[in-house]
Amino acid sequence: MTSFQDFAETCQRIENIPGSLEMTQVVAEFFSSVEDDELEIVSRFIMGLVFPVWSPLQLGIGPGLLYTSLSRASGVPVKGIIDLVRETGDVGLAAREALTGAKKSQSTLAAFGEEESVLSIQDVFTRFSDIANTSGKGSQSSRARNLQFLFGRATPIEAVYLARLSIEELRIGVGEGIVRDSIAKAFDVPKDAVERGYMLTNDLGLVVKEAKLNGTHGLAGLDMELGRPIRMMLAQISQGIEPAVNEMGSVAVEWKFDGARVQIHKDGDKISIYSRRLEDVTNSLPDIVEMVREGISAESALLDGEAVVLGPDGKPGAFQEILKRFRRKYDVDVVKEQIPLQLYLFDILYFNGESLFDNTLVQRRQHLVECVTPSDNLKIAEQEITSDVRVINDIYREALEAGHEGVMLKNPESLYSPGKRGKNWLKIKPLMETLDLVVIGGEWGEGRRANFIGSFQLACIEQESGDILSLGRVGTGITDDMLEDLTARFKELIVVENGKELEFVPQVVFEVAFEEIQKSPTYNSGYALRFPRLVRVRDDKSPEDADTLDRIEQLYINQKVRPDNAS
Amino acid sequence: MFKAIIESEKLKETIEAVSSIVDEAKINLTPDGISVKAVDPANVAMITLNLKSAAFEEFTATEGELGVDLNRLNDILGMAEKAEIVEIELDEESHKLVIGMSGLTYKISLLDPASIRKEPKVPQLELPARIVLTGTDLKRAVKAAEKVSDHMGMGIDGEIFYLEAEGDSDRMRLDMTKDQLISLEPGDARSLFSLDYLSDMVKSAGKANEVTIELGKDFPTMIKFQIAGGNGEVNYLLAPRIESD
Repeated sequence: MTSFQDFAETCQRIENIPGSLEMTQVVAEFFSSVEDDELEIVSRFIMGLVFPVWSPLQLGIGPGLLYTSLSRASGVPVKGIIDLVRETGDVGLAAREALTGAKKSQSTLAAFGEEESVLSIQDVFTRFSDIANTSGKGSQSSRARNLQFLFGRATPIEAVYLARLSIEELRIGVGEGIVRDSIAKAFDVPKDAVERGYMLTNDLGLVVKEAKLNGTHGLAGLDMELGRPIRMMLAQISQGIEPAVNEMGSVAVEWKFDGARVQIHKDGDKISIYSRRLEDVTNSLPDIVEMVREGISAESALLDGEAVVLGPDGKPGAFQEILKRFRRKYDVDVVKEQIPLQLYLFDILYFNGESLFDNTLVQRRQHLVECVTPSDNLKIAEQEITSDVRVINDIYREALEAGHEGVMLKNPESLYSPGKRGKNWLKIKPLMETLDLVVIGGEWGEGRRANFIGSFQLACIEQESGDILSLGRVGTGITDDMLEDLTARFKELIVVENGKELEFVPQVVFEVAFEEIQKSPTYNSGYALRFPRLVRVRDDKSPEDADTLDRIEQLYINQKVRPDNAS
Repeated sequence: MFKAIIESEKLKETIEAVSSIVDEAKINLTPDGISVKAVDPANVAMITLNLKSAAFEEFTATEGELGVDLNRLNDILGMAEKAEIVEIELDEESHKLVIGMSGLTYKISLLDPASIRKEPKVPQLELPARIVLTGTDLKRAVKAAEKVSDHMGMGIDGEIFYLEAEGDSDRMRLDMTKDQLISLEPGDARSLFSLDYLSDMVKSAGKANEVTIELGKDFPTMIKFQIAGGNGEVNYLLAPRIESD
């Protein structure tokens, strides 16, 4: 057993290293020193991850549970823990402070027997698994006690990384890239072999174990498995149609559908569907399961596609409609009727027992056409290979007219690279306009941003009355420098402070970009922004100049109609 | 093998006492009765429980163990009326527990005993003070303490057993003299305990006519009482909070 102390000390060392090369060295050394059984766990822990990304297990420890457990282990009231988090700006440091400064800390029975021993990495993982596996009545208490146990046993430095790990934010700057390179370095295997193994299994834990036990040969034996989702290949935003054609020569043009990405695994009778975040959404989408059962002739297959809501006008429904389908756990059959889906398939990665990762897009497309029998709701995404910019423009316009997002331009000779947002897939879509909105409130941040106002409540103006109506929050697009400036600025404008919630004098106007406007009962404007992002502070504008509810309603209607000239 | 018939109330009492410590437990079977030893996930509280075969209307068992999801079992026993007779039998083939009550039959899945946290070693403690009081009095003191704090002190001052709690701004203290108690063996004792645990424990202990508390100085406490009309015994052990300056 490797002690958790070793892990914590390694984290501390890494935290003080600025360069990734040196970090890789330290992680590699650590990997070499860890026991076989714990290597898999460590490869995830070091990235702040407890379970493999594809695993249905979710740790689900939020600040509430963390603070309760810390409070019980240390005897410091929850309020005191929250203050410590605010002061230190970090749950890890707060945990250490709480436990070392504790006045009335909880002892364990082990302290009165002879069982006291060091905390191992395996111990920590076992407790986290217990927490993830506990659900239902009374589970909150047992979850808290498992976490309390860990804090009760932790040394000060262990407490730092335990707390951070429990909310899966280790903040030492080790990501997949460093872990991959460290595996290669620690066990003397080629980086490509590690990369390939990771792409196919989506699990660095498996990769590291194989690398250590069976080396390059073992890594070569790793393959994808039906029932274990792989990450989806992503597209970059293109600079435009012409530059894309100049770069790739001929391109495979497909519509970019306005729906939600799905990955479908068919293994005989067993059909599983995963969302873009690799969550298993099979039970929420029985209609898709049925389409696959009916329309896919292959005995086994892994397909990539997009589920689209079929609106009453034949155009795709709003994005939030599809979320209703994906998140639905109960009365699935009722919503299934209310929000019917269509499935567009555009790629295949596994076909009758064979992985297609070394096939080009053109080759994969042949397999796709071969195994899909299209029907009303199940379609193969149309594809045209061309180098004619006019043709592409026509397809783009058709896609927008049909209510979809734009087009995808794919390199016909490219391989499928899971998880990559590379140059082989490009997306073309119209730029959304921005809105100028008044900032009416905010919230103190968490973690690193604890002393800053981390998100801002936005509002538009009701043109007739001049009323200020909320429209959602923005927390992205804010750099650390801006955070400091904005905090200083808005501190002066605080009217009410209620816990972390703040209310401001409406004075400042933000220019905000977004993907889409949605109807929303949450905000009193009746709308919300999807993916809002701060573009700049409009110092040149006063609240009266902010955008009106009228304009937002107009934009909402327009985004459904999608004008012809949008290209 | 395992087959037993018991009044639902007695079985409920037993399961509740254990489920205030753990969600899942290993129940040990012997021809003389059943027993459980379990420690809570935080390793702060422990229970040892024995229920003699005499507590049952009928009881036959060979040596063995059952892994039980206690919340599940509690839930099902909720269907039984107070004085109702419950039949329990282990179906060895399907490895399920068959529970029957006035026409209803449940078959509940058992857990693999190996998947349940292993039984704790019970520390041997010499505790200088011993207090016997009614369950009602103990329960009342715990309830009173909960109103001001999340922990409670218990101690002996001369011939007085006291329970006290101190919050940010408020205090609670309950003094009990020897004649208010069932019995008292004084000793040097004062320890602090988390109410999070105590309140769970008094759910069961509060129903007992007599509860024995053994106390030391910054030491675990032992809380003992009988269940099933004297044919069973529950023994809780609770680690203290340690004060430091």
